[in-house]
Amino acid sequence: MAQSTHMRSIQFGDNNANCGNTVGSYNKTVYKSDEDAQIMRWLSPLESSNRHQGVCTDRFDGVGDWLLETWEFREWRGSDGGADKAVLFCSGNPGVGKTYLR
Amino acid sequence: MIDSLCDQARGEDITVSGFYYDFLAQQEQTTTNVMGSILKQLVGRDIPKHIREAFEDWKRGIGRGLRHVEMMAMLSIAIASLHQVFICIDALDECLPKHLPELLKSLRDIVRESPTTRIFLTGRPHIREDIQRYLTKVVVIPISPNKDDIRNYLEMKLDGDADPEAMNDNLRAAIVRVILEKTSDMCVGTFNISTL
Repeated sequence: MAQSTHMRSIQFGDNNANCGNTVGSYNKTVYKSDEDAQIMRWLSPLESSNRHQGVCTDRFDGVGDWLLETWEFREWRGSDGGADKAVLFCSGNPGVGKTYLR
Repeated sequence: MIDSLCDQARGEDITVSGFYYDFLAQQEQTTTNVMGSILKQLVGRDIPKHIREAFEDWKRGIGRGLRHVEMMAMLSIAIASLHQVFICIDALDECLPKHLPELLKSLRDIVRESPTTRIFLTGRPHIREDIQRYLTKVVVIPISPNKDDIRNYLEMKLDGDADPEAMNDNLRAAIVRVILEKTSDMCVGTFNISTL
């Protein structure tokens, strides 16, 4: 049972091959020991990487590229604005593709 | 979005974490659990000493749950130890309304303490007022279906048609044209309603 909760490995498509390789270790879900797995479950029973995997697989490439070019996104991403530019909210009605923005 | 940031993060010292709200999992998606999920992604496999110590303290306690203030203290230490952190949270409108204020306050506290942290949120338009109550400086980008996105998607689906014999160039062009027309009507309709 412990295995099913912390031994999941995540497969990404070619386009997302770098997902797991960032400094942030987004999807490193194999822990060094039982105690480590226990600590991780204590921190939160939620695993967000499973959902991310589904979204990666279903996504159509190039969708939402325009967003990355917007002035608002660049300002936010650049982080020169400090706390004043720290939060970006993409607002849209159901089904417009917010989740699938690449 | 997480992938785009991860792609951009190569060569840069940034750490990306993300969370998807889902109304089917609302009950367990408490703010403390969501922050815990973010924290897990930030620390990766190498659990820091301060978290191990907090866990040991908790084990010696009398079985109470992890309190939100303790979670935020651990998160704060983890963020401070990293160069720059990105937090992406999807479908805020699917967060239970009773959990939302605490989530937004927590994000506000994170940004106040660590002004280089970047927060990316998505949600339905009505959630904007809730966000602005706590995060007054939020930058808003409205998302609507983009004609090129729809066209690309249609072309992909038509390429994968299981019955290519029944398709010809004229039919193909007509399908794309009619659907694009209909979807732009939908956009105009939405626009009119929202500006009333």
